[in-house]
Amino acid sequence: MSLTLRPVRVGTGSDEEGMLVFDEEQRLVAVLTHLGENYDGASGHWYLEAGFGRLDGPDHPTYADLDAAREGISQRLAGGK
Amino acid sequence: MEGIHHHTAALIRKLESIAPLAPEEKAALLRLPLRLKSVPAHQDIVSEGDRPCESCLVVNGLACRYILTEEGKRQILSFHISGDIPDLQSLHLTTMDHSLGTLVPCQLAFIRHEDLHALMRSHPRLGELFWRDTLIDAAVFRQWIVGLGRREAHSRIAHLLCELLVRLRAVELVEDHAFTLPITQGELADALGISAVHANRVLQDLRAENLITWRGDTLKVLDWQGLQRAGEFDPTYLHLVKKEAL
Repeated sequence: MSLTLRPVRVGTGSDEEGMLVFDEEQRLVAVLTHLGENYDGASGHWYLEAGFGRLDGPDHPTYADLDAAREGISQRLAGGK
Repeated sequence: MEGIHHHTAALIRKLESIAPLAPEEKAALLRLPLRLKSVPAHQDIVSEGDRPCESCLVVNGLACRYILTEEGKRQILSFHISGDIPDLQSLHLTTMDHSLGTLVPCQLAFIRHEDLHALMRSHPRLGELFWRDTLIDAAVFRQWIVGLGRREAHSRIAHLLCELLVRLRAVELVEDHAFTLPITQGELADALGISAVHANRVLQDLRAENLITWRGDTLKVLDWQGLQRAGEFDPTYLHLVKKEAL
């Protein structure tokens, strides 16, 4: 699945640099935030701040980079874990 | 290795925090045969599906009850400190419906079920006291359910820290509002149903609000009233008779 990313600022109170993630039909499926310092082992990673539809729920993974995020989100949208 | 008295002292301290103990009851507890065992961090003490014939007293360290989902996600159900017998229920519920594991290296003392049954037959009031302890256990679960279902993460973490402080203070493990909390943010997150990132942010907020510091393994509460307000914490549900713990 081809996802489109669009930069956005996110009002988390800490990690503001984010990406809106759209599916092929330009529907918003997720919001990613770029983790700053202070996260052991996860600083610099992209965090699934919010997900919609199949991405909704208690699971909020982090991805090492945006390619990994695209891959992980595509898999979850396709029904994988 | 058979029972050494000072290991039972942890249990006596715990029980005395929820009800007075008569001298003969303490003496009976001290006569309980114990099998001592040191267990490294992150190991199961008993696992879901096991049918144990003994229960485990945490002498020192930190243990947790947990359940893994089919996907391998862990929900921590409760934390257990010195003096707790977290699998006391296996005395009556023969098959473990959850697992009990160590979070740090733990000193444990196993008590055979037959010895616990004999103790409660000879001292029925101790049986009532263990019953009271399991009812308090259920009261703690009620608070956790409210937290998981209805409290914001900020309040949920504050409530848990208040709970740990009061429980640890009841067994004399708090000094000047500081206690050892040797868990990771991931473990905290697994207990509170949030992500480790979210737990990290909330802890940063609690620090910024000057409610706590958490350096290494030491958590210090800087503003006890403020933390209780943040967690909407009322210790009534812990049913402590040891009022100095509150």
